[in-house]
Amino acid sequence: MTDRLQSRLLKLAGGFLALYAIILTLSPAVRMRTWQVSYRWEHWIGLLVWAVCFAIANYQTSRLLPDRDPFLLPITAVLSGWGLLLIWRLVPSLGMRQTIWLLLATAVLTIGLRLPANLRHLRNYKYLLLFSGLLLTALTLFFGANPLGYGPQLWLGYRSVFLQPSEPLKLLLVIYLAAYLSDRIHLRRRLLLLTFPTILVIGLSLLLLLVQRDLGTASIFIGLYTMILYMGTARRRFLLICFGTLLLAGILGYFTIDIVRLRVDTWLNPWADPSGTSYQIVQSLLAIANGGLLGRGPGLGSPGLVPVAHSDFIFAALAEEHGLMGTAALLMLYGLLINRGFRAALNAQDRYRRILAAGLTTYLGIQTLLIVGGNLRLLPLTGVTLPFVSYGGSSLITGTIAILLLLLIGSQPDDEPAPLPKPSPYLITSALLLSGLLLSLLANSYWGIIRSADLLTRTDNPRRSIADRYVPRGQILDRDNRPINMTDGQVGEYKRSYLIPELGSVIGYTHPIFGQAGLEASLDNYLRGLQGNPVSLVLWNQLLYGQPPEGLDVRLSIDLELQAAADQALKEHTGALVLIDASTGDILVISSHPTFDPNLLDQTGNTLIDDPDARLLNRVTLGSYPIGRTLKSLFGSDIESMKTFGLFEAPRLRMGSVTARAAADNPTISPLQAALAAAVYSAEGIRPPARITTAIKTSQSGWVILPALGDPKRVLSPSGAADTAESLMIPEEPFWQVSETLTEADSAYTWYLAGTLPNWQATPLTIVLLLEEDNEPLAVEVGSKILKEALQP
Amino acid sequence: MSGPIVLALRILLTLSLISLLGWMYYSIWQNVRQQGEILASRKVPGINIEIRQKDSLPIARLFTQPEIVIGREPNSDILLTEETASARHARLNYHHSQWWLEDLDSKNGTILNSNKLTTPTVIISNDEIICGKTTLTIRLQSDSSVTTTQRI
Repeated sequence: MTDRLQSRLLKLAGGFLALYAIILTLSPAVRMRTWQVSYRWEHWIGLLVWAVCFAIANYQTSRLLPDRDPFLLPITAVLSGWGLLLIWRLVPSLGMRQTIWLLLATAVLTIGLRLPANLRHLRNYKYLLLFSGLLLTALTLFFGANPLGYGPQLWLGYRSVFLQPSEPLKLLLVIYLAAYLSDRIHLRRRLLLLTFPTILVIGLSLLLLLVQRDLGTASIFIGLYTMILYMGTARRRFLLICFGTLLLAGILGYFTIDIVRLRVDTWLNPWADPSGTSYQIVQSLLAIANGGLLGRGPGLGSPGLVPVAHSDFIFAALAEEHGLMGTAALLMLYGLLINRGFRAALNAQDRYRRILAAGLTTYLGIQTLLIVGGNLRLLPLTGVTLPFVSYGGSSLITGTIAILLLLLIGSQPDDEPAPLPKPSPYLITSALLLSGLLLSLLANSYWGIIRSADLLTRTDNPRRSIADRYVPRGQILDRDNRPINMTDGQVGEYKRSYLIPELGSVIGYTHPIFGQAGLEASLDNYLRGLQGNPVSLVLWNQLLYGQPPEGLDVRLSIDLELQAAADQALKEHTGALVLIDASTGDILVISSHPTFDPNLLDQTGNTLIDDPDARLLNRVTLGSYPIGRTLKSLFGSDIESMKTFGLFEAPRLRMGSVTARAAADNPTISPLQAALAAAVYSAEGIRPPARITTAIKTSQSGWVILPALGDPKRVLSPSGAADTAESLMIPEEPFWQVSETLTEADSAYTWYLAGTLPNWQATPLTIVLLLEEDNEPLAVEVGSKILKEALQP
Repeated sequence: MSGPIVLALRILLTLSLISLLGWMYYSIWQNVRQQGEILASRKVPGINIEIRQKDSLPIARLFTQPEIVIGREPNSDILLTEETASARHARLNYHHSQWWLEDLDSKNGTILNSNKLTTPTVIISNDEIICGKTTLTIRLQSDSSVTTTQRI
């Protein structure tokens, strides 16, 4: 019965891992969306070793321990196998190492099955064992190393083999406490006298760990010590005392140890500095959010974005690729492990083995909760491993030894368990651990399902720019469908190119580091295919690839020939030029100088932000300039009529724009506002709404027109507008014009406004030119030249 | 095409994980069920008790349940009628393959083979129990069909 059940569970685990391996092999095909890829095979060696190791362990346990718990070995097998394949998937270079560690761990397990079931050696040599553990840990003070080459030096290394002594130290502490308490507890001495040697030992260990800044292990030590003493003595005041000590230590640590403060601060408020101190936890939550319910699938997520995903953040990696279904199963496996551990404890035949089994289970449980809680922002982050799953030989072997001891303790012939006068500490401890797992599951649901959508749309989610490399982004076209921005390259290497670099500050950019700006930002949902595509298509792509469908092309109202002429004229100057269709408000030319070349963002991005010339600024919509008497009188002189001209409202456009600063008698306005207001004189007294995005190309119904966001508004009567326009007209030209220069303390601004006359038979046009210099002749020359060019049929 | 195929495999992967866990939990349930069946099939060896109350003829009764309460309370298994017995006087219990006699804090105590009972005690055939003025004589039946308790 036991043997059959254990074999069957191991086979099921093998089936699960084989499916994992198959999907991982196929994953490059899904990523590149073609079968012509190089498939991943290397992890199969890990699976093979796993299968052989656990087949031997299965056989040996059946032979040597016929009455063992049939669940412990399969749980260990599925956790360590899952972890092994995850490591092969995350960091293939570490996969072989972990495979060797797994081989060693199962070898230790198989050999250890022959230990006498009463484990008396461990009991007799408790001090020797503990002090050799402490000695090894102390050695890291002098010979400490870190396999990564930086960070806390908690390892002892020889060549490229590293041992983290604090891992076995936890196990040795449990053994020591179990042996000590079972020897002394019946003496019924005062509590302080009873616990004095243990306090000494634990104090020494904690001191060592604190000096080494191994705070994760230190927290586990305090928690383990508390729970074991509580279970050993059944005195509830232990819980209170230790909880108080932990709190006090935490507060003290917060004010004296920088890393504690950092961890607590980023725990309480991770959103304050998501790209700096709380980068890890925010990336962890993003990975969990990307997992959702079913997960992205093995090899198909981007868990590598979380730092050290193979060790501290392996839970986040697992959550991303397996989703809530996977993490729920993982947590249930740990829950079952805790349940079986405590069952072994309660059935144990003497107090020593009872405390030992409960202590070992508590050790695995606390460590799981600490790191899972850290990944889920339930607890401050501590750098400990997820038992059996994380990368790390010391941790894997220590965990396997714990399982070995549990197997030995739990495999007794049917004798009566030792009496237990007060079972409640065991019940409370296991209930605490299990409810911690439940809480983790709830937190996982919260981040993975409820908060998933708004986490993933965060601009610091790197998955968006990764998707940009695999899914073509829509093109941005001019009014005659000539490309302005386009995406080219192959799957996996798509790159945005900007064909008209002069439009940089207007059309903007989309960049993996610097984010998005301009129309690339405001039209992102169309360009990315999230808007304008059928919802079912978006959801299907999300399910298959975790990426949006192909992006939609967007057509702008810009006329590239006129645009080039304007850019040529303004090249050497600082200023803005906007030419609009006075009746529809369509923007034909939008030019802001100086500007930047988005193609060179990789090199210039960092300096652009502090550029003295404000090259990133789109001066047409976001610039704000003072106006003088001439322009004021054009727009009705007083505040009320300036309001009807729309100078105090931001033009509604599918891109950022500003409203005038309402300094009562001296408003500052943007060139676009001026153009829309001046259009009144070319369009029979009606102010048009602004529009730059005219259409999107949907896959089903072709080009779909996007209407302007505002409505046209009557400002003047047609005759009133015509009178003013005619008073401003210039001889032999079909348009009116005004210009003025303002000089302030250290700056000067020249405005030029012009527009077709009301009787103009073709498309009415209005132009506004602003130069940040005192140069009226140039403004008139450039402005009228562009307008005349536009008027050519 | 790779996407839908791998999606099917991914669903299969999740299902295989669920079936692994499902099998584990099903086995635990099965274990409990077996335990229940063992307990249900466990036979309590019958116990013959000869009851001699004051002022009445001795009667012999056979009990097959695992717990027998002796007292004046109407729902007692062995109903005592005279005043010196308490409402819930003593109890006979079958566990660990033996019958145990336990005094339930009776006023006048329970006497087993002329010793006053202080802790639950195993009884054997021909033991004499005195509750108040009633004498009970035990005749155990042999118990070959008994299975022992298993750990769950």
